[in-house]
Amino acid sequence: MLAQHVSKWYGPRHAVTDVSFNIEPGEIVGLLGPNGSGKSTIFRILCGYLAPSSGTVAVAGFDVMTDSLDVRRAISYVPEDAPLYDHMRVEEFLRFMARIKGLRGASAASAVEAAAARLDLGGVMTMPAGKLSRGFRQRVSIAQALLGDPQLLVLDEPTSGLDPHQVIAVRDLIRALAGRHTVLIASHVLPEIEKIATRVMILLDGTLLTADALKGSREHPALRLRAAGPEAAIRGAVSAVAGVRSVAAEPAGGDAAEAAEPACYLIEAERRPSLAPEIIAALAGRGIAVSELSEAAPDLERIFLDLTRRPLKAAA
Amino acid sequence: MRNFAVLLLKEETALFSSPIAYVVMTVFLLIMGYSFTLTLFLSHQPSLVHIFFQMFVLFMLTVPLITMRLLAEERKLRTLEVLLTAPVSEIEIVLAKFVASMSLIALMLLLSGSYAAVLVLFGDPDLGPIYSGYLGLLLFGAALVGAGLLASALTANQVVAALVSLSVFLLLWIIDNFGWLLPSPFDALVTNLSLSVHFRPFAVGSVYLSDVGFFLSVALLMLLLSVRALARR
Repeated sequence: MLAQHVSKWYGPRHAVTDVSFNIEPGEIVGLLGPNGSGKSTIFRILCGYLAPSSGTVAVAGFDVMTDSLDVRRAISYVPEDAPLYDHMRVEEFLRFMARIKGLRGASAASAVEAAAARLDLGGVMTMPAGKLSRGFRQRVSIAQALLGDPQLLVLDEPTSGLDPHQVIAVRDLIRALAGRHTVLIASHVLPEIEKIATRVMILLDGTLLTADALKGSREHPALRLRAAGPEAAIRGAVSAVAGVRSVAAEPAGGDAAEAAEPACYLIEAERRPSLAPEIIAALAGRGIAVSELSEAAPDLERIFLDLTRRPLKAAA
Repeated sequence: MRNFAVLLLKEETALFSSPIAYVVMTVFLLIMGYSFTLTLFLSHQPSLVHIFFQMFVLFMLTVPLITMRLLAEERKLRTLEVLLTAPVSEIEIVLAKFVASMSLIALMLLLSGSYAAVLVLFGDPDLGPIYSGYLGLLLFGAALVGAGLLASALTANQVVAALVSLSVFLLLWIIDNFGWLLPSPFDALVTNLSLSVHFRPFAVGSVYLSDVGFFLSVALLMLLLSVRALARR
């Protein structure tokens, strides 16, 4: 998928401004942004439901405006709030969706069966969609998106309305789709995106702030070190290791148990591979015992806040 | 057009699983049955001309109820988003909705055929005006359904869609009366827009190609505009 300089205006209001990004096959990309930031508008444009005011979008080599039907064959969309035909039974709805996606006869039946099994819909297949709980509606909506084995799945807030068990199940399902399908998922819930996506894009007020929020963390991995000894000696030993960018002491936690632990440091490396063996050797050479050295997970929350505050400050 | 049959089945199911279809059919048959009986006993004439004119008026009142939900409901419930991001064309969607609605109109006309059957069984009616009357009503119904579908394509509010359709139908019913107030050639133009002017010959047994063409053109134009309204997002 390639979006180039996509903008959308509703009258004088800019919903999306000059958004460009590229998604490679097999990626799970998260689009993170507060409510009203333009995520759903972008998704509707990508799926051919809305026409962009300017810019172009290509999916699987087809232009979303001129080859709309080809794009819609390659893509499956789960809209926010899971709209369904309330008068249809779940099985009937899934069969209908399978047939309009080009599946017929036995292949339609087996696709419906497989999608229902994947989303654990066995108990509600004969119920009218209008009588389903929010969680089941969401699962039926995701099940219809899996029909026809689409190349690209576009999911708008797929875990909203689900209970924690269902959230975990959907998260596992999306992870299992990686490789076979390309997945684009929107959410305003930061931990959700953090757990599912391999790449995170951040959107604010219709502007794409970054197409890869974790790029910096991937290129400059961070290590968390816990070692007992004088701070100056530890900093000196670690800083002397070739490839170490910075060393910072992490503030101790408030509780007594954590205060009793050796001090914690955050080491930022210039590149991969990990510098752990060199750091351990350098510290051991100075007689400093290392009790923990692990790669720190990228702090998406900090990155998100940094990126979203910057434009706000600029505006102020 | 490979998805047309799938969409048509969905529309037929939606139409005949909603109470609106049955309410419309019941009201239509009750009123027409009462009117047919009364006319027959009073006039003792084996003719359906009066009934055709009453059906003409009743169609204008009931078709908005059939068409108001077609696209407005899909837009409001956001199922249109599901439909239009699936590999189906706007033409297929509009045609399926049109044909499904026409099937209800055809069923209503078919059931009202019992009046003609009564005349044939117990009298000696002139069948020409009966055939032309039904043809006229079918064509008139197609024009109304097309216009109702367009109104439904332009809004997410079913009540607004119904009121817009009803207002347009009523205006086009009586618009020929304004022809007297206008200079030539506007008087002819306005008169020729009138639904009743084009329907009257059918009801009395005359079939003119111009009238057939008028109703077919209106239906096709309305369908085309509905497709455009759906495609322009």
